[in-house]
Amino acid sequence: MTPLQFESLYEADWKRLEDMVQQCLARGRRGAARAPAVQGEQLAILYRRACEQLALARQRAYPPYLVERLERVTGDAHQLIYQRRQFGAAAFREFIARGFPRTVRQHRYYVLAASLLFLVPTLVLGVLIHQRPDLVLSVMDANTADMFEQMYSGDGESLGRRRDVNSDWAMFGYYIRNNVGVSFQCFAGGLFLGLGSIFYLVFNGAQAGAVAGYLTERGLGDTFYSFVVTHASFELTAIVLSGAAGLRLGNALLAPRRLTRRASLVKAAVEVAPMVYGFALMLLIAAAIEGFWSSATWLPGVVRYSVAAACWAGVLSYFIWQGRRAD
Amino acid sequence: MRRGALDTLIEAETPEGISLELRPAGLPARFFAFLLDWAIRIAVIVAAAQISALMGGIGTAVWIISLFVLEWLYPVAFELGRAGATPGKSAMGLRVVMDSGLPVTPAASLTRNLLRVADFLPLMYGFGIISMLLRKDFKRLGDLVAGTMVVHRPRAVARASLPEVEAVAPAIGIGLTEQAAIVALASRASRMTGERLDELAALAAPVVGQPGDSGAVVTRRVLGVARWLMGQRK
Repeated sequence: MTPLQFESLYEADWKRLEDMVQQCLARGRRGAARAPAVQGEQLAILYRRACEQLALARQRAYPPYLVERLERVTGDAHQLIYQRRQFGAAAFREFIARGFPRTVRQHRYYVLAASLLFLVPTLVLGVLIHQRPDLVLSVMDANTADMFEQMYSGDGESLGRRRDVNSDWAMFGYYIRNNVGVSFQCFAGGLFLGLGSIFYLVFNGAQAGAVAGYLTERGLGDTFYSFVVTHASFELTAIVLSGAAGLRLGNALLAPRRLTRRASLVKAAVEVAPMVYGFALMLLIAAAIEGFWSSATWLPGVVRYSVAAACWAGVLSYFIWQGRRAD
Repeated sequence: MRRGALDTLIEAETPEGISLELRPAGLPARFFAFLLDWAIRIAVIVAAAQISALMGGIGTAVWIISLFVLEWLYPVAFELGRAGATPGKSAMGLRVVMDSGLPVTPAASLTRNLLRVADFLPLMYGFGIISMLLRKDFKRLGDLVAGTMVVHRPRAVARASLPEVEAVAPAIGIGLTEQAAIVALASRASRMTGERLDELAALAAPVVGQPGDSGAVVTRRVLGVARWLMGQRK
């Protein structure tokens, strides 16, 4: 069969397949309403035929324009047909009920390591700076220390805020950007043999400890702790989890076992993905709490501390017990 | 035809038993795509700033949140769409696929975009650029981990028109690769100078028989053979 015979024989099929692919792409662009629906079954049949014809065309060394046309149309159809839709309410429920806490438990040693990397510097610097406040200047400059002191002192109107941003919503946005930045650094730093994660965990732990120690020493402990303790349940946990995810990547590089380093890294990324979704979600919750709840200083301390205790208990028991039953 | 030896072509086999040819996109194409996306984001941010200035306190929040969304979710949202690419990449004819040639999954898209942080280090996407320049498939670190690739979308190829000459049956039996080479030469004929065409056609002279002929005569006959091979035998 000559190329021209081949082409004229199947031209109609290819044209239809190309039109269908175009139609699907157009539907994606302009919303489902405008373009008519595409018959999935027809698309699949035409696609499979085009695949056979492409194989034939290659085998018979037909001219490049013919082969490339077939490559193009099968490639586009392949992308459409195998598109995976993983989101949706059911998938999300499954993720919250089982996927996320199970992934965290699977990585419990990484989580433990990340917790220690974060908490030990926090405690050490907290205690140290509480004893010798001038040491705070070795962690941050005088202006920053001053800013923190201002944020947690005085009228309570601008508690925990930079003075220039002045509304709950604005702070919500600011917290998201800030915390997400920290967490993503902790995660991505894992690519450098885990050293980046370790650095960011220790660094942020030290910062937190320094601020806490310094403010406690200044007698602002109560305002500070009552402000941060609630959202810390989500925020610090999320930062630790992001660090744990980063450490997992680092370990995959350092100790790939029987895989190549690259394969090991890809495997680790797939396994750790639910944790990444999870900590991003937790950061969102933390920012919401921080923006809208933590600033409500008019509530009596006992209410605020009990809500904080409930949050901590909730978060911890979620990771310890949620999704253990297999059903 | 073995093209893999010189080319950066990557083959991925589909369940249908054909191999998709993926052409990884190099640094320049991705750089311009990034610039375009960056310009789009800047435009949106400026517009959002104008709007939020009118809305007061909540406006600031909207602005900061939109900064966040643009920074982190802009690529993810577009990569998971039908085009499989951000507007910048689409404009440059690129798309993001898995190593297997499949459309990018949500987890992979999120991973590759969160790891931008690592690619960006130490500054101006330094590690990302080094990684892309060192690898044959031009992956940045995020692509390596997520198992994704940025590839050129296959371009539409114009239907080749062969020069109008009289069809000639080949004088000797020729194999498939030789046939393909002759047809390919004929479809490129209009883009070459006459001298170069003669030179190349002379290589195929045995196909037309009649030793002793040379130059334009041989070329004409070789082009005629191409026509015959394509099936235009009248």
